[in-house]
Amino acid sequence: MAETYTGNVQNHPLTFFAIIGERSSAFFEHLARYCSLMWWMLRNVHNAKEYSRNIYQQMVMIGNDSIPIVVFVSAFVGMVTAVQSAYQLYDWIPRAVVGSLVVKSVLLELTPLLTALVLAGKVGATITAELGTMRVTEQIDALEALAFDSISFLITPRVLSGMLMFPVLIIFGDLVAIIGGLIGSVAVANIPAEAFINGMKSSFETKDAIFGIIKANFFGFTITSVACYQGYYVEGGSEGVGKATMGTVVLTCLAVVVMDFILASILL
Amino acid sequence: MQVSSLILNPGLSLLIRIQNIWKRFGEKQVLRGISFDVRDKETTVVLGRSGGGKSVLLKMIIGLVKPDSGSIEVDSKDVTKMNYKELRAMRFKFGFLFQGAALFDSMTVGENIALSLRRHTGWTEKEINESIEFALHIVGLDNVAEVMPSSLSGGMKKRVGLARAVALTPRYVLYDEPTTGLDMETADGINLLIKDMRTKLGITSIVVTHDIHSAFVVGDRFAVLENGTTLMTGTREEIQQSENEEVRKYINSSLPMTEGNRA
Repeated sequence: MAETYTGNVQNHPLTFFAIIGERSSAFFEHLARYCSLMWWMLRNVHNAKEYSRNIYQQMVMIGNDSIPIVVFVSAFVGMVTAVQSAYQLYDWIPRAVVGSLVVKSVLLELTPLLTALVLAGKVGATITAELGTMRVTEQIDALEALAFDSISFLITPRVLSGMLMFPVLIIFGDLVAIIGGLIGSVAVANIPAEAFINGMKSSFETKDAIFGIIKANFFGFTITSVACYQGYYVEGGSEGVGKATMGTVVLTCLAVVVMDFILASILL
Repeated sequence: MQVSSLILNPGLSLLIRIQNIWKRFGEKQVLRGISFDVRDKETTVVLGRSGGGKSVLLKMIIGLVKPDSGSIEVDSKDVTKMNYKELRAMRFKFGFLFQGAALFDSMTVGENIALSLRRHTGWTEKEINESIEFALHIVGLDNVAEVMPSSLSGGMKKRVGLARAVALTPRYVLYDEPTTGLDMETADGINLLIKDMRTKLGITSIVVTHDIHSAFVVGDRFAVLENGTTLMTGTREEIQQSENEEVRKYINSSLPMTEGNRA
């Protein structure tokens, strides 16, 4: 007698397909909810001026508070790029090429990508944990009960601040990475500072820096919006907050690398 | 029955009417046709066991949760059919004391109370500060405006939550398990406050609780819920003298032992 699908995934021979179906359905449900959250935010973005204090606080949290980690990461990214570039060059290639390689790699790819990945952990996790805790302790309900639009109050400031501060952090990171590259070249690879600077000047193009800033803008939006979504819709108490925070870090890291590829394909 | 009693007592005006509310969460049918009315300047207590959907019902009244079917009329307007703008306007009429107080933990006590005042009134900082002091004074707390919520006890948090709820002088206050997790003395203090809100400020209240002792201290009228349905509605006397076996069982199982019922 032919078996009929009863809805119990675990006991059915077509379990694999049933699971794929369930996961796809869950994915599209999340996507639809994320899009509707973003649509609501965009539709009411004019309310943001009423919450300028929140925007300022979030800019400080996302921007100022992230400077130490961005400086640390960027400096080492610059240094290691310089040292590895020098290591890979044949003896007959002019040393100034190291400066060119560092500035190109740093502006186009390394600083925006690595900074975004680090901030996905720091900023993304912080936002999800904050909003998730507010959700499970009914603080978001309390905001709504006090006649606040909780999305305009909580999410819009975070996403706007992310879009504003990520480019600033990337510009800052670019600068620090180039200085790091110079230090690495001079101190470890024995390349004269003048040669490094000449190489850097010869290959510097403004559009490379602009490309990095555009990427930063997209990364800022993606990381903060996904983190807000994850936190705002947390379910299941403190365990749910933990899961959502981990989910944010994984999702935003994946989104950043995919978006990095897409933007490079379109803009370069 | 409730409508007829209103006809008999035309002085009482009906403010909130909850009719045939159904709500399901996933597989679980939480509410199965809840109906009761709330009257002007009375404290209506919704009694029921933990996990019975009482808090959900309270959130439905201010539109935080939407029922699957049924209607909730506040001042003759159906909350379930309101759009978000109308809901926000309607919420000005309400104060809500959450079970865990739900204070914003990144803000001081004063900022918690000032938040809605700054947003929804055109008051000066001086007026706002006076209102904060007044709201805190009503709930019996002085000189805590600069304190962070994390350094307050459970009872104090609830008092601050209540001060925040009444700061905009709402017409209604909704209390979600106001005495849960508090010792007897603190719970009595909160019960006294709930009574004061009605007698001193003329506020109409709905209290959701599973604590029979508190319910009989603060309540004028009661709705007893069981398995997602309204088991009984009535005054304190009607509930206490009920012949309904389920009601009697619920009241007796929840009441602390006294000389009277021990015998």
